[in-house]
Amino acid sequence: MTLASLHSAFAARPHHFAAFLVLGDPTPDLSVELARAAVQNGATMLELGMPYSDPCADGPAIQAACDRSRAAGVSTPQAIDVLARISAALPDVPKNLLVYGNLVHAPGYRAFCERVVGAGASSLLVPDIPLEESGPLRAACRETGLGEVQLVGPGTDPERLREIDSAVDAFLYLAGLQGVTGAVQDDDAKFALLERVRDQVERPICLGFGLSTPEHVRRTFAAGGRIAVVGSQLARVIDAAWQGGAGDPAKIVDVFGEACRMLSAPAT
Amino acid sequence: MTQIDNAPQCGGFGDYGGRFVSELLMPALTELADAHREILFSEPFLAEFQAELAEWAGRPTPLTRVPHFSTEARLDVVLKREDLLHGGAHKTNNVVGQALLARRMGKTRLIAETGAGQHGVATAMAGARYGFETVIYMGARDAERQAVNVQRMELCGARVERVESGSATLKDAINEALRDWAESLGDTHYLLGTVCGPDPFPSLVRDLQAVIGCESRAQFAEMYGGRLPDAIAACVGGGSNAIGLFTGFLDQESVKIFGVEPAGGGTHTNRHGATLGKGTPGLLHGARTYVLQDDDGQIKHSHSVAAGLDYPGVGPQHASLRDSGRVQYVAVDDTASIEAFRSLSRTEGIVPAFETAHAIAFAAQAVERGWLPEGASLLINMSGRGDKDLDMYFRDHA
Ligand SMILES: Cc1ncc(COP(=O)(O)O)c(C=O)c1O
Repeated sequence: MTLASLHSAFAARPHHFAAFLVLGDPTPDLSVELARAAVQNGATMLELGMPYSDPCADGPAIQAACDRSRAAGVSTPQAIDVLARISAALPDVPKNLLVYGNLVHAPGYRAFCERVVGAGASSLLVPDIPLEESGPLRAACRETGLGEVQLVGPGTDPERLREIDSAVDAFLYLAGLQGVTGAVQDDDAKFALLERVRDQVERPICLGFGLSTPEHVRRTFAAGGRIAVVGSQLARVIDAAWQGGAGDPAKIVDVFGEACRMLSAPAT
Repeated sequence: MTQIDNAPQCGGFGDYGGRFVSELLMPALTELADAHREILFSEPFLAEFQAELAEWAGRPTPLTRVPHFSTEARLDVVLKREDLLHGGAHKTNNVVGQALLARRMGKTRLIAETGAGQHGVATAMAGARYGFETVIYMGARDAERQAVNVQRMELCGARVERVESGSATLKDAINEALRDWAESLGDTHYLLGTVCGPDPFPSLVRDLQAVIGCESRAQFAEMYGGRLPDAIAACVGGGSNAIGLFTGFLDQESVKIFGVEPAGGGTHTNRHGATLGKGTPGLLHGARTYVLQDDDGQIKHSHSVAAGLDYPGVGPQHASLRDSGRVQYVAVDDTASIEAFRSLSRTEGIVPAFETAHAIAFAAQAVERGWLPEGASLLINMSGRGDKDLDMYFRDHA
């Protein structure tokens, strides 16, 4: 699966609810089940994070998700294996990968892209490789057919926004707030920002950072977002279910599926 | 993949450096790079900076000959006394410069990471003097092993946030400071304490620490009838005291330059911080540089008895100086550093910080390990004093 699948998903429906999961959280097997549950409950895209030792752009909930996955022994090759299993189970669902730069740099950009395309990724967001430094990674994405996603935020000025818009070929990931994932800030500002950015760019916009309720998802679409991604909130759901119901995977999957069902309602 | 493919676009040192940060931090870095370029070298700023370094921080610091230690080391050792700077370490040079810059940029809040606590102390002092709200991020493990410095920071009015994640040391404190800055950049300056991080920090901090090398070169010439030292050395954590000293001598090919990394429990073990000796190129905290990492790119935990050297990355300019061979990076272990701590105290009445003790240990071992010929003159950056380490010394090492 590559960029093409993403384009057909955008053609097929205007609005996508994307569930974010750290690959291998809380265990490899459960991670595959959670992805399946997300899609059964209305997610039409998945955002999948590679567990990393130093997730600088993430708040506590996703840091904890990385820690759970790493505590379960999930290395990068194993995370890619989990991705492949999710892809086998859900071949038609676009999967945007969220990977910190050093994990992409370590094997070499090209080699990394080949591996994740082979495991079914459709696009890639590297949060700590911004426009200026993205040349070599972009080349690797293009050569391997992996879509490129870039982050933009409240402080990205209009000229830069246009540059980033024309550089990427998948979509723009708009951070609705200045901060790290999971922060809670003024809702209205988030959607006003989305409306403003929407009018300045060509690419579809995915809104993330700080979405946690069905109302947030609904307002994302109302403001012109094509993808609403919920991450920290779902990581908190997993955390609570994992801590509370340890040993009962079925229960964790149920609780998680139910959360996705509520969140995805505005997309259907 | 060739290295050229990885050469950074922003503020690179050859294949190293760059701005590998989230788009959310880019506006802050652009603003800081503009200030670095437009304000730092302007007359009014330089005048203010120099006046503050003199009146408040106590510059110039002296050079001190250490004859008894020299006899033991079979070298002619001279110390550049940054331990006498206000606050007790070289960190104050950088802090004064960045705090004055931040004030001109209209910022009202300072955040900083700290390992040994010296940078945190300097930032807290500057916060008090220049009227900033100040928050210091410190690994919980470091806060425990450098407790006196936590007290000094709090006494100066700073809030100290103890960071429990990861290895609960300097690396994790930087992560947390970067997270704070992503949210607070409107009114906040991230006062980074070393020559690491995204551009423009490695060059900004170097420019502010260059006073060490500049003064030393003139002072040494005065003391030695116009000569240059045969060699210079400094300990390397992130690398700011080292770059500060080296900058004055990089253009003098006759001067051998040594950076001393922490070998911790031994570079053959997993417990060390010898990033340039044992690491590989990677992306950490905004820069492409040498990093201690596994094959997949997960960052490893470092180790050193010196909290300020206990870091799995290093400033990108050092990465470049390593590859070019202009600077030779060597490592000395915890045991040798503690021995040097004791030895300099006994022979000269000067108590070095555990970090600095690595540079002192280098001198003690230099002839024996073939790094320097007997009788060579060696200028060492005495980056800080050891008061903060006394508790740990008497508890674990006496
Ligand atoms: C006295 C002293 N020397 C050296 C260092 C290491 O930092 P750098 O390598 O940036 O000089 C520290 C850091 O905390 C320190 O406190």
